[in-house]
Amino acid sequence: MSESSSKKSSKHDLKSKTLHCKNLHEYLKTLSSSVLDRLYIHPITCLAVYRELSEIAKHYIIRIIFVEQPVPQAVIASWLSKAYAKEHKEAVEALTELKIWKESSVTGGLPVWELNPVFKKHIRVALLGGGKNWFMSSHMEADTKPRDIAFLDAYAMERWECVLHYMVGSHQQEGISADAVRNLLHAGLMRCDNDGSAIITKEGFQFLLMDTAAQVWYFILQYLSTVEDKGLDLSLCLTFLFQLRFSILGKDYSTEGMNDGLLIFLQHLREFGLVYQRKRKAGRFYPTRLALNMAAGQNQSDVSIREGYIIIETNYRIYAYTDSNLKVALVGLFTNLIYRFPNVTVGVLTRDSIRTALRSGITADQIVGFLRMHAHPKMISVGSSILPPTIVDQIYLWEQERNRFNFSEGVLYSQFMSQNDFETLRDYAQDLGVLVWQNERKRTMVVTKSSHDDVKKFWKRHSRGNS
Amino acid sequence: MGGLKRNKKDEKRSKRKKKEEEEEYYEPDNLDEEVVPDAAKKNVESNDKLVPEDEFGAKDYRLQMILKSDNESRPLWVAPNGHIFLESFSPVYRHAHDFLIAIAEPVCRPEFIHEYKLTAYSLYAAVSVGIQTADIIEYLKRLSKTSVPDGIIEFINLCTLSYGKVKLVLKHNKYFIESPYAEVIQKLLKDPIVQECRLKKDADTEILTVQEKANSQIQFTGKPVTKKETEITKVDGEEEPVVPEDISDFYNKMDKADDDKDEEVTETVSFEVNQEKIEIIQKRCIEMEYPLLTEYDFRNDIVNPDINIDLKPTAILRPYQEKSLRKMFGNGRARSGVIVLPCGAGKSLVGVTACCTVRKRALVLCNSGVSVEQWKQQFKMWSTADDSMICRFTSEAKDKPNNCSILVTTYSMITHMQKRSWEAEQTMKWLQDQEWGVMVLDEVHTIPAKMFRRVLTLVQSHCKLGLTATLLREDDKIADLNFLIGPKLYEANWLELQKKGFIAKVQCAEVWCPMTPEFYREYLNTKTSKKLLLYVLNPNKFRATQYLIRYHERRGDKTIVFSDNVFALIHYAKALKKFYIHGPTSQAERLQVLQNFKYNPKVNTIFVSKVADTSFDLPEANVLIQISSHGGSRRQEAQRLGRILRAKKGAVAEEYNAFFYTLVSQDTLEMSYSRKRQRFLINQGYSYKVITKLAGMEEESDMMYTTREEQGHLLQEVLKATDTDADEEKLPGDSGASTSSFKRIAGSMSSMSGADDSVYLEYKKPTKHPLFKKFRG
Repeated sequence: MSESSSKKSSKHDLKSKTLHCKNLHEYLKTLSSSVLDRLYIHPITCLAVYRELSEIAKHYIIRIIFVEQPVPQAVIASWLSKAYAKEHKEAVEALTELKIWKESSVTGGLPVWELNPVFKKHIRVALLGGGKNWFMSSHMEADTKPRDIAFLDAYAMERWECVLHYMVGSHQQEGISADAVRNLLHAGLMRCDNDGSAIITKEGFQFLLMDTAAQVWYFILQYLSTVEDKGLDLSLCLTFLFQLRFSILGKDYSTEGMNDGLLIFLQHLREFGLVYQRKRKAGRFYPTRLALNMAAGQNQSDVSIREGYIIIETNYRIYAYTDSNLKVALVGLFTNLIYRFPNVTVGVLTRDSIRTALRSGITADQIVGFLRMHAHPKMISVGSSILPPTIVDQIYLWEQERNRFNFSEGVLYSQFMSQNDFETLRDYAQDLGVLVWQNERKRTMVVTKSSHDDVKKFWKRHSRGNS
Repeated sequence: MGGLKRNKKDEKRSKRKKKEEEEEYYEPDNLDEEVVPDAAKKNVESNDKLVPEDEFGAKDYRLQMILKSDNESRPLWVAPNGHIFLESFSPVYRHAHDFLIAIAEPVCRPEFIHEYKLTAYSLYAAVSVGIQTADIIEYLKRLSKTSVPDGIIEFINLCTLSYGKVKLVLKHNKYFIESPYAEVIQKLLKDPIVQECRLKKDADTEILTVQEKANSQIQFTGKPVTKKETEITKVDGEEEPVVPEDISDFYNKMDKADDDKDEEVTETVSFEVNQEKIEIIQKRCIEMEYPLLTEYDFRNDIVNPDINIDLKPTAILRPYQEKSLRKMFGNGRARSGVIVLPCGAGKSLVGVTACCTVRKRALVLCNSGVSVEQWKQQFKMWSTADDSMICRFTSEAKDKPNNCSILVTTYSMITHMQKRSWEAEQTMKWLQDQEWGVMVLDEVHTIPAKMFRRVLTLVQSHCKLGLTATLLREDDKIADLNFLIGPKLYEANWLELQKKGFIAKVQCAEVWCPMTPEFYREYLNTKTSKKLLLYVLNPNKFRATQYLIRYHERRGDKTIVFSDNVFALIHYAKALKKFYIHGPTSQAERLQVLQNFKYNPKVNTIFVSKVADTSFDLPEANVLIQISSHGGSRRQEAQRLGRILRAKKGAVAEEYNAFFYTLVSQDTLEMSYSRKRQRFLINQGYSYKVITKLAGMEEESDMMYTTREEQGHLLQEVLKATDTDADEEKLPGDSGASTSSFKRIAGSMSSMSGADDSVYLEYKKPTKHPLFKKFRG
């Protein structure tokens, strides 16, 4: 008899990786507890974090916020009926991960939840008031040239599109700062070509098709992970972002009391269009919608500033009502463009154009999502499904076409001495439900990798028994 | 950079090369010479060469088109290459639509944005129904969101200035060349060839100047719709303040021009032509860039007797049918031309009405014995004609002509070259002696130009009406029809008819059947022709067919299954125990099967080969399953869809009332074929749902070919089949066709010319219209 096992290769995973955009919770839990503690010093962050929690978690906090001792875990668990055990578990996990409370035990070994004292103190301030003024000050004389919301929206979009323009490499627009480029490189959205020029990556393509709020959030997250290298204080920056989130659109705020680091940060935000400042030293700034929506991450749907502009026909034609090069470029990512008219671009979806997009790392989901998000009002008014269902199906089918191999890791058993041996082992694997493939004539079989040990043991036992 | 350029050049060269190859392709068919006016050789597409491409590879027209400030209320973009895009949701859609359909060819008409294309032919058609050059340009300018490119204006001028100016009119049984433009007539008369053809009476060379007050309009029985329609549009214009005034004004003017022109007194100049030399003068006029429009002043024709035929009062014309006839009889005379309506939209009624309007002897040509019968039925149903007035002339039914008023026959009967029976010979003689008032040409797209010309030389008729559902445009042979019959008079919008319930709402689906491993292995290892058998007889496809048939039989539907491949057809039909019809099936048997399908509740499914592609009128059928088809022929796809398009009664409640399935074996040639085939219908606004898995098929009991073993048997059978079995059904050609009167030519026009595939190659915009290539030498 002979037993030989060899690894069946399973190196590639053809399914392309999708760009994952963390939400606020996921981001915060990656931070160290010291940073979090520094964050919780500011009532505003406590409030922001609190708002992001699930209803049940919020409820727990409110109930124990004025309880001075730790609360037994059993007590909290008893607040919810057994039917909601799952929700309870999630809430507990979230609170633990955010270091809002921690597990400990009182004398007698009773497990309890102990609220983070920093958080406790400052959430109380946020909810009840008191302490010193923790919000950005807006006490100053009125702006001589106040800016209205429409202006701020336009400004924000223009700035943001500058970044996107840079990514798609359209030339007509003004460039972006070296810092921003560095950030794009750092985020993996672009990479340096051999000659030093930046080119877009797979992730970059996916990034382009995300909705604006998600884009901004993703971008800022990447930015935040580098602030410490720039000598800025992460917790200060985050706090400032949270403050922005609670600000009012169309209102101006004073830069008074901001330290140098924060002022630099403000300039960066200004470049991406999150805040508007007439002059660098204006002493005041206006937050824009981008900033207000940003901290919501993906939890809230995009409050779209723009109107949809794309019409998709059942014959795979695409009409993009736009004169913006950027929008045309975005549509061009997965469309074969035919004509440019002054206010419309005509294109057609083909198998090739979609496959090109898929190959560059964009997923069918993203394409469909993009088309849906930017669908022309006429398409929305027509009815039930915004996009023609056949087109959507076809896009998915084109994607599936590329994913027809399923890779599963396994271990190959071959060169059995007798048919009998082979059958015994095969039947064993089959009974366990771990047989991936077998060929009787060639006496070869593949079992799943995880069961390899089991099967091997059985084989050893079996062969020993035989000999 | 340099490298790039060279690449582009190479590309161009290879394109040119391809074109040359294509040219050679057409050559064998070019034997008969024909002349086409120079202006028609113009192609706006060539205006495109110098247009820069933008960074995304799209043609950048932004510099040539200046956006108007009120662009939102105007519905059109006119691209410099002749493509026109129309917003269907624009408030002035109706205005623009009516206008565009008259001057341009529809390319695709889905839900929101329609595409049209200006071609030399479409403009020719426009002029011939009486639209003036200046009006075209003016209206186009007003409707457009942007400025109209200069190239387009130039093109319109070029194509229309000389067109439609001269008419060949048969009046009082004398042929006249007639024109409202004296200078044109003068110019023609200076030509020596024209001189020769001219009929000189007593050396009197004077040109007749006629003051003519055209008679009031033709009325069709049961007409009431049009008036209302115009009213509605006017109301539309008032209600929507968005409509720019110039557009609505102009529209009303155009509308009037269409209706009231006949009241005006027109002065025309004319001279008489020798009847024998009609052909020569026609050719010469085309060479001189003044193609003759033929019109038949049937009401003043006193030589040919009127026939006593009228529409029955029960025959009610639908708005689009009326509209199409209006184009034909617009100025009180009958124009020759082609009317394009989807199958099932009532083409025959249009034909019958045309005959009843002209009220002269009518000749109806169709392409199979079965449809001869069906035409006779149609005449009896819609008009007052009875058996004695209608004569069928086919190999099986030779009614005595007895000086009848309506003769229905097939193309092959007329063009038959072999010896005929004495009886047929007599009829043929009689037929040739007659001066027919109107000739209705059914399924006109199926006839090759050569055959067609033979018909025209054999039979004299004053006016020709072509009817078809699919006037596919890239095929240059279709373009020939423009000059053989006349311009396209009307083309209906499929989606609109469907929405209004005139044709059935069809759910088109493409069912993907995975190949079984055994079949796929053989498929990959076999050479060409047998591959077809393997993917057609794929057991998974068979089961899908079986399942669909059962499913729809349970619903009480009537199903037709199409298979081009006869071997597969017979195998499927026998295995599933259903009736089948293919080439060799006799006329009597066919009718019997069809009768059973219509009336026998036990016969709900029949299998047919491509003999049933056209003109088989099966109003009951509402499900169509296609298991094998003729390569990538879009026309066949459309024709087949037509079999189930006839509006179904009492089925409005459901979203769809007809089903069209195409079964394709995954990963085989069929996939790319079916993509090609669907293009036409997709452009008409249909959409195909892809079904990768039929829900419920697995639960079905006693399905065939479920086990490996059965599948193995099937595979053996397929492998035993000869290569000829794999061929598509060969339909009897011109020779040796005496056994069967029907002649199936569907799809053969292009395949005979080898154009089947090049149609798709050619999609890359040739610089010149392929039609004219042959005239270069």
